[in-house]
Amino acid sequence: MLAPPPLPASASAPRAGARAAGTWLAAAAVALLALFPVLVARPYPLHMGVVLFLAVLEAAAWNLVGGIAGQYSVGHAVYFGAGAYAAVMLLERLGIAPWWGIWAAALCAVLLGLVVGTITLRLRGPYFVLASIAAAEVARLAVLHFRAFTHGAQGFVVAEPPVLRLPGLSLTFDGKRPFYYLTLALAVLAVAVNRAVLRSRLGYQLLAVREDQDAAHSLGIRLSLVKNQALAISAALTGVAGAVFAGYSRFIDPDTVFSLTDVSVPMVLYCLAGGAGTVEGPVVGALLLVPVSEALRNPRGLVSLGLLPAGSGVVGFVERHLSQAHQLVYGLLLVLIVLFAPEGVAGLLRRLLRRSRARPRPAPPPA
Amino acid sequence: MILFLQSLLSGVLMGGVYALVGIGLTLVFGVMRIVNFAHGELVMLGMYLAWFLFTRLGWDPYLSLVVVAPALFLWGALLQAAVVGRALHALPENQMLLTIGLGLAMSNAAMLAFTADYRILTTSYSSSGLQVLGLSVSEPMLAAFLVAVGVTAGLYLFLLRTDTGRAIRATAQDREAAQLMGIDVRRMSLVAFGLGAALAGTAGALVSPTYYIYPQVGGAFTLKAFVIVVLGGMGSVVGATLGGLLVGVTESLAAVYVASDLKELVVYSLFLLVLVARPSGLLGKARA
Repeated sequence: MLAPPPLPASASAPRAGARAAGTWLAAAAVALLALFPVLVARPYPLHMGVVLFLAVLEAAAWNLVGGIAGQYSVGHAVYFGAGAYAAVMLLERLGIAPWWGIWAAALCAVLLGLVVGTITLRLRGPYFVLASIAAAEVARLAVLHFRAFTHGAQGFVVAEPPVLRLPGLSLTFDGKRPFYYLTLALAVLAVAVNRAVLRSRLGYQLLAVREDQDAAHSLGIRLSLVKNQALAISAALTGVAGAVFAGYSRFIDPDTVFSLTDVSVPMVLYCLAGGAGTVEGPVVGALLLVPVSEALRNPRGLVSLGLLPAGSGVVGFVERHLSQAHQLVYGLLLVLIVLFAPEGVAGLLRRLLRRSRARPRPAPPPA
Repeated sequence: MILFLQSLLSGVLMGGVYALVGIGLTLVFGVMRIVNFAHGELVMLGMYLAWFLFTRLGWDPYLSLVVVAPALFLWGALLQAAVVGRALHALPENQMLLTIGLGLAMSNAAMLAFTADYRILTTSYSSSGLQVLGLSVSEPMLAAFLVAVGVTAGLYLFLLRTDTGRAIRATAQDREAAQLMGIDVRRMSLVAFGLGAALAGTAGALVSPTYYIYPQVGGAFTLKAFVIVVLGGMGSVVGATLGGLLVGVTESLAAVYVASDLKELVVYSLFLLVLVARPSGLLGKARA
């Protein structure tokens, strides 16, 4: 991105305080979100939560490779699709429950990530972007072709996952509430992984790679090793997202889960809209974009919330015209973000905040 | 043997149209160093425009080129002036995202205007063919190929012989030096983007009698255009011409000898292979 976020190393005392406050704020927000289904039982708000948390999970996963390491993969659908197919096919063909399938999904995505990464991560700039898209397309076409194994374009209708029995507790995954908690937990995990990576040795190495690959290389950073490490973590999280999506939507086909425009591009978009390479960016971006897109896709949800009158012309207009073309907004936003807020909304806010903070500053006390 | 020659021939015919798409993309890249991910969507617009003129006014798709090409030229120049030109100094990644956004906006706008339905443009000659030396040749594909060859030849002449063409090539070689020589590089960027869009639109109109027309059809063209341009070496017009033929033939042979729904998979795999082995392209010079 144009304006890289400040390196975490430069944290001074007041910034560390601000960060602790941010952590408390985030913890409070998560606690509130965890309480939400207790207070509200209507399906639509819970559905919005699931969609939103999945978006955060995907965006945070992409952020590791695209934001922190600066490798703009526009083919992450390959890991999403691999995860979805791994979990579903284990359930359908071998009867393996998704609790185990989800791990297999992560493993599959990581293995695929190693293959794709070995081929594509040596490339730079537009070549890398093109290769990542081509890799996802190869996967989509292959799944479409090998019908005997994958059902081809017909896809899979996913059976209801069996009850999960743990000592002292049994969980059924019907309805929206279990998925709400599952996706919330995964989103928190993904954001925490981002935070941990940014503070680790690997994180510093990735930031160096993003800023200047040749300089990083000359400092002794093994480029393909660190880039592949970032991709492996990212692919695992994306594969899990795919598996959970499959379980939630109960149907997958290659054109949905390997889609460039429905999977690969939105991940990038959430992350950039919020601010690539930052911890909060994926969350902010998903919060901004998911409600807009969901409202256009299904305006009746807004009616069920009482935000729109049921018989109004707006609902009819959106359903008739915009619900198919809901990505029009994404396209236009992408253009506007690159032209006017290339560091994302979080970056924009931070810049404004810094400007307002920079003015009155008391002199530091003598040491 | 006859099967081989047959698929080789139809590959070459399709390759001529692909070359047109690839040349448009490489021209834009050469002059502005911007990778235009919305290129396929310009092909899609050309297809819809030809379809619209055919169904509403009864114009033959080849005749409609006189409207489609100038209209797309203006549209391309407008996009360059209003959007893409503003990001000339942005990071390459951001430029790519910008054009991805433009492409999404265009395909979704087409969906808004024409719905997601598949359209077919059926002319009297859509499925007629000729017999030449025992090989059957699809008439609309042959016509598309001949027009594509004519347009490509015209473009070569334009780039090689006219002042504007020389200025475009100079801008592509070294933007700053061209500017120092008094070339209006901003105008050249407008012309290059306009030409790129016009070529894409022309290709779209040319294939409209033989293709399904739907809002997302551009995506496959974008990716194929990249394959063509990378194979030929980015920025090289000759390379894009050869790359187009190569992709057309590969696809056609793969459809016959591998599986018809794997032809694109073969092309993309070849692309990945070439990227790994020779990142500068099969025909390109080594990168500095």
